[in-house]
Amino acid sequence: MKTLAKKDLVDVLRYWTGHCTVMTPGRKSHDEIVFDEFDEATFTLDYRKPSLPPKSSCLPQSETIFQVDSGTYEPRISEAKVLLFGIRACDMTGILQSKSFMTADTDDVFYRARAENLATVVMACSGPQNETCFCTTTRSGPFSKQGFDLQFYDVGDSFLVEIGSDKGAVLASAKGFAEADDEAARKRVELFRHEAQGRIALLPEVSQAMERLERGGVSEELWDKFGSKCIVCGGCTYVCPTCTCFNVADRHSGNGGGERIRTWDACLYAGFTKEASGHNPRKTQGLRIKRRHEHKLLYYTDRDTHEGLCTCVGCGRCSDYCPVHIGTIEVVKAIAGEQS
Amino acid sequence: MGDYSTNMYSPRAVSIVRTLPQISEHRLFQLKLEDGGTWDTFGHQPGQFIEVSLFGKGEAPISISSPPTRPDTLEICVRRTGKLTDALFELGKGSRLHIRGPYGKGFPLDRLKGNNLLLVAGGLGLAPLRSLLLYVLDRRDEFGDLILMYGTNSPDNVLFKYELLSFFDRDDIKYLYSVDRDEEGIWKQYVGVVTGLFDQATLSPDNTCAVLCGPPIMYRFVLEKLLNLGFSKDRIYMSLERMMKCGVGKCGHCAMGDKYCCTDGPVFNYAEIEHIKEAI
Repeated sequence: MKTLAKKDLVDVLRYWTGHCTVMTPGRKSHDEIVFDEFDEATFTLDYRKPSLPPKSSCLPQSETIFQVDSGTYEPRISEAKVLLFGIRACDMTGILQSKSFMTADTDDVFYRARAENLATVVMACSGPQNETCFCTTTRSGPFSKQGFDLQFYDVGDSFLVEIGSDKGAVLASAKGFAEADDEAARKRVELFRHEAQGRIALLPEVSQAMERLERGGVSEELWDKFGSKCIVCGGCTYVCPTCTCFNVADRHSGNGGGERIRTWDACLYAGFTKEASGHNPRKTQGLRIKRRHEHKLLYYTDRDTHEGLCTCVGCGRCSDYCPVHIGTIEVVKAIAGEQS
Repeated sequence: MGDYSTNMYSPRAVSIVRTLPQISEHRLFQLKLEDGGTWDTFGHQPGQFIEVSLFGKGEAPISISSPPTRPDTLEICVRRTGKLTDALFELGKGSRLHIRGPYGKGFPLDRLKGNNLLLVAGGLGLAPLRSLLLYVLDRRDEFGDLILMYGTNSPDNVLFKYELLSFFDRDDIKYLYSVDRDEEGIWKQYVGVVTGLFDQATLSPDNTCAVLCGPPIMYRFVLEKLLNLGFSKDRIYMSLERMMKCGVGKCGHCAMGDKYCCTDGPVFNYAEIEHIKEAI
C-alpha cells in the first residue's frame, strides 16, 4: 500500500504524461465531466459518473483497422500508451469483461494492442455516484478486486493507493508516493470499502430477473411493450461499458485505396441482423430489446464475467440516458414484477 | 508487450480462374491462390464459409461450394443481391479479390460417416450443401445410402443443373427434384413443395442423418416431416444463414441465444438450437 498527498497528485499526473497519454476527468463546457487528455485547467477530482464509460480506450467509436493501398491491406495496430486515471470500478470491470471477450478464443489484435498498452487507475467510490448505481448487486464495485494497475481510495487530504500489478508498481514509483503504514492503511481501506458498500442499495430484481430469464418465464408481451416504446437511438449500447458489437465499412480515398474502418454498432437497430437476402431473423423491436438484455443477464460466460454477476456491471447509465426509460433497472423491475 | 503479427482480420489475395453463370443472378466463381498452389493448405471443410472482400464494397460471408477433396480451385456460388455481390459480378477471369477464412463449424463428417445420408436443399441452399454432396461422392465408400432432395421455385431456377442431371446415371445416389410451380408444363419430376418428395423415399431414421439447407420456411416443414418420421433431433443438421460480419465471433451480428452462428455454426444439429426461438 502507498499513500499520496492530494496536493502532489497534479505533479504525479504531469510526470506520467512524460511516459504515456494520461486521460483524466475534466470539467468541460456545460459542466459536463469528460475523460480527456490531462489538462490542469479542467482537471477535477469533483466528479461522479462520467456520461461515457472508458471503453473507447480499447474500442474506439470509430477506428481505422486497415490502410488499403493497391490491393494490400495493411493493419493499423495502435501503439498508443494510454493511462486512464480515476475510472470507476464498474468501468474497470467493463474493461476486464470486454478484454476477455475480445481476445479469448479468437484474438482481436486491434483490441488487444490497445488493451495491453493501457494502464488503469481506479478511483474507488465512497458511495453511489447517483441514484442509478447498483454495482454491489452486480459485484463490480464500488471498488475493484482485480484487473487494475493502481486503485486510489480518497481518505481526505490524501489517497491510499493499492498496487494491482507490476505496471502499477512502476507507476507508483513516481515522486510523491510514499509507503503507507500497512496495518493502519489496510484497516482504513477496509473501513472505506465497508462503508461504501453499505451506502449502495442492492437491487434484488436483477437476480430475480436473471432467474426468470433462465426459466424462460418472461412473456413476449413484456418485450413488445418495451419494443413499442423504444425510439431505436442505440444510446443504451453506446453508454454501456460492456457493449462491444461493431460494424465494418470501407472508406475510399481515391486510386482504389482508402481505409477499412470499424465503428460501434447496436443490436437495437433493425439492420443489425438483416441479411443480404432481405430476411431478418430478429423481426421486431421487442425481440431486439430482449436480445440486448438477455446478452447481459442470461447469455454470458464465466470466462467473461470475472468476479461479476453477469455482463451488466451495474453502472446504471442506460437507465440514466434512455429517453424513454428502457434501462436495465426498468427492465429487470418489469421482469421481476411480472405475474408468472 | 504482445505479438500482434497474427491478425485474423487480414484478408489474403486470390484471383478468379473462371466465372460460370448459373441461373439468373447466380454465378459460380472459381478461385485460385495467388501463389498458384492448391487449396490443400487452406484447410476448409464442407459447410464452412469465407469472408469475401472487395475494397470499397466491404466484406460478406459466402459459403464454400466445393469440397476439400477437389483442391484445385475453391468455388463459391453467389447470388447477386447487394453492393458487394453487384461488384463481384463485374469481375471476370484474372480479377483479384480478397478472402478470409475458412470459418465456422462445417458438416460433422465424423458423425455422418457410416450413416445413410438424406440431403435436403432448397434454392440457393444447395450452394453450401454441394460441398458435402461432392465430398460424399468423392469418398463414397465411407458413407451409406445417399439421397438428395432438391427443391426450387421453378424449373428455371435449378442450380448446378448439368451436375445434377449427371446424377441420374449413377446408382450410388438417389436424386429427387421438385419445383414449387411449373407454369409452362415442362417439368418431368415432382411439382410441389420439397416435403412432397418424402413419399418417394424410404428412410430409416435410426441410421440416417438428415442435412438441410434452405430458406427458413423450408426448415419448418422439413423438420416437422423428419420428426414425424422418427428422426432424433441430434440426427438433423442444418446450415443457418446470418449476417456473419466478422466471421470470428466478435462483431455480434450473428448472435442468437447463447450461440454465435459464425463460430458455433453455421451448421447446427436441431437439438442444439431448438430452444432458441429466433434460430429458425
